[in-house]
Amino acid sequence: MGVIVALTLKEAMRRRAFLGTVIILIALYGLSFLPRAFKEAFGGNERQFEVGVNLAVLFGVDIIKFFSAVLAILLCAGAITAEIERGYLAAILPRPLHRWELYLGKWLGVMLFSTANATLWTAMLWVSVAVQGEPRMEMWYALPYVLLYPVLYGTLALALSSFLGASLASMFTVAAGAFAYFSDHFLRPIAALFDVKFLQQIVWLSEWTVPMATLKRLVQARVDTILPPGMDDAPPFGSPEVLAFLKPTVQTLDGVYVAVYITIALLVGLLIFWRRDVQ
Amino acid sequence: MWAIETRNLRKVFRPLFGGKPITAVDNLNLQVPPGTVFGFLGPNGAGKTTTIQILIGNVYPTAGEAFVLGHPAGAIAAKRKLGFLPEKFQFHDFLTAEEFLRMHGRLAKMDGATLQKRIDEVLELVGLAERRKSKIREFSKGMQQRIGLAQAIIHDPDLVILDEPTSALDPLGRRRVREVVQYLKERGKTVFLNSHLLSEVERSCDEVAIINRGRVVKQGALDELLVNRSIVSIELKRVEPRILEGMSKVARKVQPVDERRVTAEVDEEDAVPELVRAIVESGGALLGLQAHRETLEDLFIQTVEGEAK
Ligand SMILES: Nc1ncnc2c1ncn2[C@@H]1O[C@H](COP(=O)(O)OP(=O)(O)OP(=O)(O)O)[C@@H](O)[C@H]1O
Ligand SMILES: [Mg+2]
Repeated sequence: MGVIVALTLKEAMRRRAFLGTVIILIALYGLSFLPRAFKEAFGGNERQFEVGVNLAVLFGVDIIKFFSAVLAILLCAGAITAEIERGYLAAILPRPLHRWELYLGKWLGVMLFSTANATLWTAMLWVSVAVQGEPRMEMWYALPYVLLYPVLYGTLALALSSFLGASLASMFTVAAGAFAYFSDHFLRPIAALFDVKFLQQIVWLSEWTVPMATLKRLVQARVDTILPPGMDDAPPFGSPEVLAFLKPTVQTLDGVYVAVYITIALLVGLLIFWRRDVQ
Repeated sequence: MWAIETRNLRKVFRPLFGGKPITAVDNLNLQVPPGTVFGFLGPNGAGKTTTIQILIGNVYPTAGEAFVLGHPAGAIAAKRKLGFLPEKFQFHDFLTAEEFLRMHGRLAKMDGATLQKRIDEVLELVGLAERRKSKIREFSKGMQQRIGLAQAIIHDPDLVILDEPTSALDPLGRRRVREVVQYLKERGKTVFLNSHLLSEVERSCDEVAIINRGRVVKQGALDELLVNRSIVSIELKRVEPRILEGMSKVARKVQPVDERRVTAEVDEEDAVPELVRAIVESGGALLGLQAHRETLEDLFIQTVEGEAK
């Protein structure tokens, strides 16, 4: 299986995935200018500067989340059907290895790549606020949860790639993510504030379908401690249930659900690949 | 134990969204003795590639069974001693020839020292030793096919399955493939190959099976299938029914081509003079005659066309 992992990493290199790595590194370094700019824009006291640092951290973590997921999708979406169609797998599969070894090898390869990337990016984010004299640790606390983004989306894309070509697999994965985002950021406030039960159910359902909001909560629990005061206060109206719906807290089983979800997605993709013809 | 055995093997492709199902392999029964060079022949679309894909475990049969080296097709034990060159070969072309072979050797569970020695050996065998450091992408089509052949034999397999191994090769390359096949045969390996270049097959194979529409229509040792049989092309002043009748007494098959020409098939060379006598005795005016030993190509065309009728 190590051979397949190595091959997947080589393939990622060949596809210039590291260019993405470098571009995001530069963008994250760019964040080091944010605190100073923020301070100058809002009166110039030290308090504003600190808020600027906090925003840079929050924003940086968002960037890492988003781009590591995108990279994982790009690498996973072309892993199975696209490689079958190109004819690569026809020569690999007759080798004495199980199909699950190939599948998990590819998965592991992309996940290693994503982990390396996200770690590198987090280090860059740390550097870019540290050079401002503010060595923060929050991004490191959030990193294990941030990594769940590429794992979740990469696993989904890989499962879809077991029967769809690269463009369709990435399109559907991105659509699933967009739907989860839309439902969390737009449907949720509407459903909460107007107290529409039906919409609230849709929001829950979409979170069950693609647990991105769950991941968001898990990450936020690690970084929201540094939110500027007043930015994350609950709106001054609404019943307690409505407020709880609007801003759910991390539940004990959130992590478990995400783990089960990822495992099932992985197994479903594996099953499809295992049963299909490769030609 | 057969090197390859199939029992009532069947594969039906069902289009995902309606449409007519295609039966690519239809109750195929095949037995390949170990140590032979076996030619797997048939017209386009006969189901050769599909059968091979089942044998190596890439495609699942709809019904029937297939065994490779005594193990069910696709099992790890079957794949351990199996080498394969795909028809539409397309390799990880960002690797160099050497890296590519090393990857395949590792996938075949070879250890480092043996592998390094073997890489040199097979590169030499397929004539790519000087290009070992080149990326496969920079190879010509024929060179890619040769590296594919190298990959198929890297781990010293007992059975090598080659799906049209010479489709991209020049005459020299084809000779080299013949040499590699000979090399494998000398080492007691079984080679199962599929090719449309029947003269090539005739030169290197011990045994052949001809399939058509997914079924075996002829199988046997080449020297038994092509016993002394001769094909005679005859030119007459005029082809008449009574002449054909006279010829039929000697020849096993008589076929008029046009008003002046007839082809006949006799079981042995000695029958050719008899055929001449029969023509003369039935009053035919013989203008010309040419006899040649039946080739695999004759047998192939005859078998496949005979099927079509
Ligand atoms: N994936 C597939 N879906 C549908 N039909 C298929 C598929 N693969 C092969 N076929 C059909 O199965 C039949 C046999 O194809 P196959 O490739 O095995 O032929 P072949 O004997 O290798 O021919 P050739 O000499 O042209 O390589 C053909 O009619 C082909 O159209
Ligand atoms: Mg074919």
